[in-house]
Amino acid sequence: MPDILTTCVYCGCGCGLYLHEENGRITGSTPSREHPISRGNLCVKGWHLHEFIHSAERLTQPLIRKNGVLTPSSWDEALDLTATELLRIKENTGDQGLGVMASAKCTNEENYLLQKFTRAVLKTNNIDHCARL
Amino acid sequence: MERFNLLKKDHLIGFLRKLAKEYRIIAPVKNRHGDTLFTPVTDLDNDEIDLTNQPQNSIKSFLFPQTEVIATYQSSTPDDYTFTEPEPSFPPTIFFGVRPCDLSAILYMDVIFLKGKKDPFFLDKRRNSLLIGLNCTAPFANCFCNATNSGPFLEFGFDLQFTDLGDRFMVETGRSSGERLIEDRPQFFTPSTEKDSQARYQSFLEARGGFHRPVHLDQTLKKLAKGEVDESVWSFLSERCQDCGGCAYVCPTCTCFTISDQPLSPTNGERLRSWDACTFSGFTRMAGGHNPVHRATGAIRQRFLHKLLYDVKQHGRTSCVGCGRCVGICFGGTDIVRFINMSCQGELYGT
Amino acid sequence: MTNSINEIENAEVILVTGSNTTEAHPQVARRMFDAVDRGAKLIVIDPRRTPLAAMAHLHLPLHPGTDIPLLNGMMRIILDENLIDDLFIEMRTENYHALRDLLFRLDLDEVVRITGVPLDTISQAARLYARTQKAVICYCLGITQHICGTENVQTLANLAMMTGHVEKEDTGVDPLRGQNNVQGACDMGSLPNVFPSYQPVSNEDYREKFEKAWQTSLSGTPGLTLLDMTHGGADGAIRGLFIMGENPMLSDPVLSKVKETLTGLDFLVVVDLFMTDTAKLAHVVLPAASFAEKTGTFTNSERRVQMVRRAIPPIPGCKTDLEIIMNLSRRMGYPMEYDSPAEVMEEIALLTPIYGGMHHDRLENSWGLQWPCWDRQHPGTPFLHKYFFTRGRGHFVPASHQSPSEPMDATYPFQLMTGRIYHQYHTGTMSRKGTLLNRENGEALLQIHPDDAGRDNIRHGEMIILASRRGEIRVKAEVSDQVAPGTLYTTFHFSEAPINLLTTGARDPKANCPEYKICAARVEKIRQGP
Repeated sequence: MPDILTTCVYCGCGCGLYLHEENGRITGSTPSREHPISRGNLCVKGWHLHEFIHSAERLTQPLIRKNGVLTPSSWDEALDLTATELLRIKENTGDQGLGVMASAKCTNEENYLLQKFTRAVLKTNNIDHCARL
Repeated sequence: MERFNLLKKDHLIGFLRKLAKEYRIIAPVKNRHGDTLFTPVTDLDNDEIDLTNQPQNSIKSFLFPQTEVIATYQSSTPDDYTFTEPEPSFPPTIFFGVRPCDLSAILYMDVIFLKGKKDPFFLDKRRNSLLIGLNCTAPFANCFCNATNSGPFLEFGFDLQFTDLGDRFMVETGRSSGERLIEDRPQFFTPSTEKDSQARYQSFLEARGGFHRPVHLDQTLKKLAKGEVDESVWSFLSERCQDCGGCAYVCPTCTCFTISDQPLSPTNGERLRSWDACTFSGFTRMAGGHNPVHRATGAIRQRFLHKLLYDVKQHGRTSCVGCGRCVGICFGGTDIVRFINMSCQGELYGT
Repeated sequence: MTNSINEIENAEVILVTGSNTTEAHPQVARRMFDAVDRGAKLIVIDPRRTPLAAMAHLHLPLHPGTDIPLLNGMMRIILDENLIDDLFIEMRTENYHALRDLLFRLDLDEVVRITGVPLDTISQAARLYARTQKAVICYCLGITQHICGTENVQTLANLAMMTGHVEKEDTGVDPLRGQNNVQGACDMGSLPNVFPSYQPVSNEDYREKFEKAWQTSLSGTPGLTLLDMTHGGADGAIRGLFIMGENPMLSDPVLSKVKETLTGLDFLVVVDLFMTDTAKLAHVVLPAASFAEKTGTFTNSERRVQMVRRAIPPIPGCKTDLEIIMNLSRRMGYPMEYDSPAEVMEEIALLTPIYGGMHHDRLENSWGLQWPCWDRQHPGTPFLHKYFFTRGRGHFVPASHQSPSEPMDATYPFQLMTGRIYHQYHTGTMSRKGTLLNRENGEALLQIHPDDAGRDNIRHGEMIILASRRGEIRVKAEVSDQVAPGTLYTTFHFSEAPINLLTTGARDPKANCPEYKICAARVEKIRQGP
């Protein structure tokens, strides 16, 4: 499989880099030479961008707090509970009781959809992210 | 005059197609984004094999990859664990279009990894690799292999070596393994003539005269051997080093690595070998926190001394092959050419 | 940024202020080094002797929080020496007289006293900046993370406008955006007061446009900002919070207040890759896919919208954020069905004028496009404000010095600044999983000047107590003359030394940006127990 060009997540410079894939694992990062920002080199974070992807600490199951403890659950159970609780709070508090924190690390498409979800479904403008931090 | 074989350019893909039946072909491929990288060729009809631009990676990234599993481990209790070495999995591979600098770099890596106690991971890959070289007929902007004696043409180290003669390649044989690649596929080749040899020599002369950068390596080597490089050169360049490690990572001869254990679950994991760089402060920092190398004044000293002094003493040649990859990509503008030229000019420029 | 990153290397003078560029924006610093090698002059305004300041032609080591008087001082000298660009001021700006009145009243001795920078150095910087043709100002959070952040930015704009250093290639005022997609998150309307493309929610026309597109009614009341949400307290207005890929339990100021707020919620959902300090408090945690497992776009600091491409399928058990949002929306009676991120981008292009010409197929076959990009034929915009300011004439807004929110006293005699380091990223959720990055820089260090350390007998590498009026943490001392006596510097990446337990909750009333760059603090040796 050829290397896949993508965009670095470690700062606002936006380097173009290739992820090296082998047997379903990302084993390396290398800069694009022609890319207008990376121009053939990355900072130390970019060169080591692949290192966290397969960390054993990745969350791989939804968790629901039961009796005070976060307990593994199915996706359906976690999503059902989330939808029910959000709807319940919306019923009780109108457009004031729910808030959403979007992310400067997520994609534009995700941010767009999340603010649409916030405004169109939760019916509130309580959405922000850590642009100022 | 020695006789060589000729391969018409029209038949290159056909030749590679035959080779691909028995080998994985890794060649410089220009991808759809415009970058040229050594890449496994999966589609000879559509992959654009690029023999015009310098591949931005060297074949080091295959023989000594950025990250490599050197063992897996399993433990049932905290004190009881077993290590298992991975099965060798490097398929028979032909590296095609390897330029003299990169080929020289492999010869250097052979010394580092295979002299004395052999590195089993490198050995497995090297054993399964054939190298088809490509002489450089037009040096790139940052090349200086003429100064490091590793190009633009090479005399040995390859299995086969191609020289571009316009509509055809002249093909030299370096080893019997290369000879067999031709013998088993004789239909592609015709013998060369005196005229071809003359053309090849002419192209060599043009390449030798085609370097863009004056790099006064000999003078620097003498100064280094006598310890005469001015301290201000080291500190000027060290202050500007931005600690990215890029020079070591793109270098075809940099072989420093670190080993780390990556847990996959509480009871098993992998031992990884990954690229490291002598410019990183963690490379020399000791367990107690002391660091014998002071970054502000010595960050790049170890790197340049290793390449241009220690390896000359130990192996009789520099471990810089003049490929120029680290030139022009440095965040602080402290590449090896700048060092070489600063140290023999004896004066600072820039700030 | 109004310019592109690559324009910086053509500048003749680069003024860097409130930016530790080599560590936080390495590729921008690379252009600065290139520019210097071509003969450009580099001026760095920073309380610390950062690596960039160390190699600058001029370093102005001002006292923290005194940017406005320093810049006003520069402008006064520019005015006195008649280095202003009269024609530009007349043709392209308004309200200059207000600035001039303020500058004429300015006492330069007072400026020197407040900022701690010698007058001669201020003058040199002023002349260097004003006399050149191509001058770029790069600033970052060292300017904005103050209670007077907005005024700081306006003052920089004043300086650029009075010298005509805007509206040209290789010349301008460039805020460096910190996180990979902070620009995009703002563009997409992940803000309480605007729809995508900064279209105010309170404006009826825009609201109607989105109501029509989304086929539902929308609220015109601007929402709560981040700190209003995380500092509301246990019985604050917010009862349920949905957090996607953020970690306020490390990144927000006054963490004790954040914790009180989050633990007091009726319902907290956290979507993340890892078990962050915030996720630990959640009622539901949803495992997300990383950037390598999804397709989409990021917008970099120079407004370049670029593809993020899926290299591997999501790690088993994880879902992309898009899938998660669509799944929830479906369950809540408002199905949003998109076959691909490209389809989402089509909708963005429809509703977001500055992204009007952004489509995945175009982005796929280019190095991205810089907004504004109005339609499919538009080539994108490498630099903004060419020929005229977006708002019409550039408006001078003069400002005067404001003291930092928290005064120092005998108990808390130090000024504590916080920021980022080269090897880590934000709250370290991702970067701290990297073996080599952690080896290089894996723990929080508190920079303290040798004189201050010596007085308290603090050794390099010693664990010490760092305290403010809000709490205390333990952190390792790094005795360093990068910081001036009386100031301290550390980072917020490390959950073992959560510096935001100490930072102040004071913020810029206009931009709501917390004053991370200054709070009063003290250090203390750890006493060995009996």
